[in-house]
Amino acid sequence: MVDRYAVRSLLTAVVMTLAVAASAQTTSPALPRTPDGRPDFSGIWQAMNTAAWDIQDHSAQGGVPAGIGVVVGNEIPYKPEALAKKRRNYDDRATADPETKCYLPGVPRVMYMPYPFQIFQKPGQMTMLFEYVHATRYIYTDGTQHPDGHIDWWMGDSRGRWEGDTLVVDVVDFNEDTWFDRAGNFHSDELHLVERFTALDRDHITYEVTVEDSKVFTRPWRMSMILYRHREPNLQLLEYDCFGFDNAFHPPLPQSQ
Amino acid sequence: MTRLLAGIVIGLVLADAVSAQQVPPPPPKAAPPPGWIDPRNPPKEDSAFTPARTPDGQPNFEGEWAQASDIITYSIEDPELERAEHTAISGQRPMVGRPIIDPIDGKIPYQPWAAKYAAFLHEQHRKPSSVKYLDPVSRGFQEGIPRINYQGTFVIQQFPGTVLMTYDYHHTYRVIPLDGRPHIGKDIKLWMGDSRGRWEGNTLVVDVANNNDQTWLQIVGGFHSDVFHVVERWTLTAPDHIVYLATIDDAKVYSRPWTLRVDFRRQKVEEQWESAIWEGNKTPEIVSGGGER
Repeated sequence: MVDRYAVRSLLTAVVMTLAVAASAQTTSPALPRTPDGRPDFSGIWQAMNTAAWDIQDHSAQGGVPAGIGVVVGNEIPYKPEALAKKRRNYDDRATADPETKCYLPGVPRVMYMPYPFQIFQKPGQMTMLFEYVHATRYIYTDGTQHPDGHIDWWMGDSRGRWEGDTLVVDVVDFNEDTWFDRAGNFHSDELHLVERFTALDRDHITYEVTVEDSKVFTRPWRMSMILYRHREPNLQLLEYDCFGFDNAFHPPLPQSQ
Repeated sequence: MTRLLAGIVIGLVLADAVSAQQVPPPPPKAAPPPGWIDPRNPPKEDSAFTPARTPDGQPNFEGEWAQASDIITYSIEDPELERAEHTAISGQRPMVGRPIIDPIDGKIPYQPWAAKYAAFLHEQHRKPSSVKYLDPVSRGFQEGIPRINYQGTFVIQQFPGTVLMTYDYHHTYRVIPLDGRPHIGKDIKLWMGDSRGRWEGNTLVVDVANNNDQTWLQIVGGFHSDVFHVVERWTLTAPDHIVYLATIDDAKVYSRPWTLRVDFRRQKVEEQWESAIWEGNKTPEIVSGGGER
């Protein structure tokens, strides 16, 4: 004897499964791709977190919103003497933070400052343009290696490769003059980053970066966050050349009359 | 009839002004470098030349470019005269490029009051009484348009709906939308202005507005106001040659619109390595002997 209730339940379950599958398809459309088949990261992006102030968990204070950190596990494995320096940096941050001098902010810091950046993508090169101090990153994806020797650059040297749909970027050749945030987290010129850009969907990128620096840390550590696509119509990068503001140094034009 | 008469009168006045003031500059005394393109006497263009196209149908002028008009940003009006002292002392080669083709005397056509201020800035450039009278680029600020185009090499990349220019000097970039969107609101001022491009046949026409009043066209002065407006015309005239015309107007400072021409030659494409300018720039301190930037 057929149990009508059981059949109806089974049918309902099948229909619901199909519906869920169908809706999953409509909410996860295929990723946009470039003509060479790679995920297309072109667009204007911005992080939406408080890592610019402090990459670790922190309470609110004057001018600083509270935030859940982006460091995986929240712990940064400083060597003892480096931890002491980090604490001094924190105490002196109002003047010691290189951001206060409007210098190029370095990587990864520039990726999560609270300003937009734009990605242009060609098969051999990703161009990243930042509103903040009109910084640029050229990520070469043409199979070339880092240049010879150590070079002291503010923004490092970036060489990318594709692992499936993930862009993996190896970055070296840093100077020791940039910080990770406004809380004094720092590195040496041995800083070595491995960044991983993975499209979560067309409007979100998972950005992960592994940080290695044997002069400062006892082991590699990792940050993870989401980059969000700006979807405002006609949005464009403007300029935040923060060194150019001081009106005392800009003579007003004389009056024509 | 009245309009016609007025036109004739204006025409006579202009002709008089031209004969009185605008004498073409003499040919360069110093030998320009091999391959130099004289903006006043350019080579004949191949009218049959048709540029290759990008996949989305734009005339393709992707690649790396540098000016071939022997321009030095020290002076676009008369570099041989302005730098005579430098070249005599240092033995540097005089550079001869004078890109202003209209007016024909090669000078920026200031209004009378502005000519006085330009003369003051020119005087100041040798020994500024204040850092604020020093060339803004020497102080680490962005160049503005059109100056960045005769500063050094740059790379053009083209994308559907956008032309991107990235300059070696000071990691400067320009994103030029081609989608017909309007300029940003007039209350936003930018060092590099706000660029809107469109193709007229094989010419990329870029309208540059929203400029601040802080950039200079040359080290010896060359100022403008915040109504400074530039229309650039970029034309690929041969596979390795771009002709660049910039028509400039500023009703507060100049007596008439004026035009400069720069010729760009294709370069071997190279990686654009970091050019940090602001970081550690000591020029203002050295010049002023003090701490001002």
